[in-house]
Amino acid sequence: MKKSEYLYLDHAATTPMREIAIKAFIDAEHEGFANSSGGHNLSRKAKNILEESRETISSIFEVAPNEIIFTSGGTEADNWSIKSLFDKNIDSDSNLVTSSIEHEAVLASAEWIKDNDFPVTFSECLNTGELDKNSFLKAINNDTIIASAMWANNETGIIQPIKELTKEVKKINSNTLFHSDVVQAVVSAKLNFHSEGIQSAAISAHKVGGPKGVGAMFLSNEFKLPSMLHGGKQELERRAGTVNVAGVASFAAALQEQQNNFDDEISIMMNEKSEFEEIVKNNFKVKIIGENEKRLAHISNIQFEKVNSEVLMVDLDLNGLGVSRGSACASGAQKPSHVLEAMGIKKEYINNHLRFSFGWSTGLGEGKKAAQILLNSLEKIS
Amino acid sequence: MRILVAMSGGVDSSVVAGLLKSQGHEVIGVTMKLWEGPNGEMPETGCCTASDSEDARKVAAKLDIPYYVMDYTESFSEDVVDNFVGMYAKGLTPNPCVECNRSVKFDHFLTQAKKLKCEKVATGHYAKIIKNDNTYELHKADYLDKDQSYVLHMLTSEKLEYIEFPLGTISKPEVRQIAAELGLKTAFKKDSQDICFVGKKDYRNFVNTRVDISSSGEIVDNKGKKIGEHKGIHEFTVGQRKGLPGGQGEAKYVTKIDVSSKKVHIGQRKDLLVRNFLLDEVSFVNDIVTNDLTIQTRYNSEDLPCNINKVGNGQLEVTLHESTYGVAPGQFGVIYQGTKLVGGGRISSKVLEKSGNG
Repeated sequence: MKKSEYLYLDHAATTPMREIAIKAFIDAEHEGFANSSGGHNLSRKAKNILEESRETISSIFEVAPNEIIFTSGGTEADNWSIKSLFDKNIDSDSNLVTSSIEHEAVLASAEWIKDNDFPVTFSECLNTGELDKNSFLKAINNDTIIASAMWANNETGIIQPIKELTKEVKKINSNTLFHSDVVQAVVSAKLNFHSEGIQSAAISAHKVGGPKGVGAMFLSNEFKLPSMLHGGKQELERRAGTVNVAGVASFAAALQEQQNNFDDEISIMMNEKSEFEEIVKNNFKVKIIGENEKRLAHISNIQFEKVNSEVLMVDLDLNGLGVSRGSACASGAQKPSHVLEAMGIKKEYINNHLRFSFGWSTGLGEGKKAAQILLNSLEKIS
Repeated sequence: MRILVAMSGGVDSSVVAGLLKSQGHEVIGVTMKLWEGPNGEMPETGCCTASDSEDARKVAAKLDIPYYVMDYTESFSEDVVDNFVGMYAKGLTPNPCVECNRSVKFDHFLTQAKKLKCEKVATGHYAKIIKNDNTYELHKADYLDKDQSYVLHMLTSEKLEYIEFPLGTISKPEVRQIAAELGLKTAFKKDSQDICFVGKKDYRNFVNTRVDISSSGEIVDNKGKKIGEHKGIHEFTVGQRKGLPGGQGEAKYVTKIDVSSKKVHIGQRKDLLVRNFLLDEVSFVNDIVTNDLTIQTRYNSEDLPCNINKVGNGQLEVTLHESTYGVAPGQFGVIYQGTKLVGGGRISSKVLEKSGNG
């Protein structure tokens, strides 16, 4: 099958790079290949590209430039914010509060903290797919140093009540740092970290048409975190390692184009997703997860009655539609989702889900085309 | 035609995928994830390891065929592993490869293949399928050293219609040569001989972690006299020599395992001689035939001339022309007429008691 014939609906996993981001990468390598921390002319060029990119990105999120620190991606930013304060010198009652529906980068970091004998609370999730605010807030106390909740879920697209949470957490403990994984949210929502009350956030470039291996941590100037990587004093003296200037420039270019075209891109994703969901639910017995909840524009998680989605996903691939099932492990086998489990989805249905995710590269008519491929496969398999 | 190939990451199934592709078929490769660690990871030893599936993926990429890893852990755990442990706990000697072929590969996997509109499934087993009018016969592989028809004996003609064993006429050295010619990285990969979910470790430890080992009991000689104690009958299998008490003199063997009294009986080699026994859960590839038969009582063991007699309840009475050692309850008796596989069933413990003492 030719690449152009293949319909890609797995943008929540990653997106193709925008042309402008590829160009920005190449231009930056040509003009600013040097080490941005060096003391000569070529280094200054690299440093200028880096700082201009930082300004572009910080203004998009309406934060100060020095509140954006570039990382290798969302995972690093999550690890950094969640783990770095938990060292052996702090009080043993110091704790973390997070939710059971977080991305693996947060969950696994939380498990690491737990393994180091600090208390960790994984708050519950409601059947609606929204985390349970009461259970989250009940766990916050004077010793809670980090609270972490994602802005929107990567598997269901369901938007979480972050603004309410940050407000309430602050009332209980004003010293708690509130971290939010916004990797998926950035794809189809406009975010202002300060007005949301978020003090730390993980952002990834490749979900919005930027390069893989690049991301950023937003960290409010009210807080300081120890470095995770030990080495030189690069990246505002907070993160060691020669900065990936071209990657950052490419990230900024992708994000800028996304902001410029925001309304158009979102309306295509919305329309294609609605059309897709309409056709599917009118022709097959399905449940659209979070259908009546606030959801991101680009994610559609569908439960099929009596159809195991493992075979379905294989058949869709063989027929030119790429989607995903849950989080992939190294072997490529896919496990039932912890998010769906936390939402209380019954065991007999948990293997019957697929995630269809639209994105900036989605074109008109793709929702309808995808629905047709899906219905054809369902007819064969069920 | 569209064919689903079960790719383990070994050389045999790699070559199957390559051969079928070169014959012009639409080949889809699947690694069946059968077994996993406590956190859902692929195991590090045995087969089905993460590195095996990585090898299969590389072969599929080299052959430019679609490739997937599919999860069969639930079925494998219930139908194969639980059965394996349960059999030892009952004093029987299990054969997990047979259970896996019966319940997972040629049942669940075959069903999935049909859903994906594949006309056949193919595996890297060494066995031959011959179409004869409207029925399908299962035969020993031409390359007898590797013949695996024994572990496939439960396949009926109806199932064989949907199965391909492309290695039935090829020798192992030829398989390696084909793999090398196709540039497959698995060409010189070592064959795995271990029980895939146990790996190189002692199976007794594996069973120990899963069965209540409070079933300790006595080891007795053939006169019923206690000569030692054991920590659980699952640590023994009929015909076993290792790990038995009493040093000097003639070698001792486990001759019988009595589940109800938890007694392990040991005796001399001659006590293991068996001529008559029963097979349970018998199946036949096609209609039963009764002339010129031989039987294998273990995987790739000697073909022993025999007569058979249906005794009802899916049971078959087997009478060997000459008594033999090494008939272990729980293993399978597989009946051939020449190279043609007639059928097979599980060796029953009941009649062995009678013939073992007789």
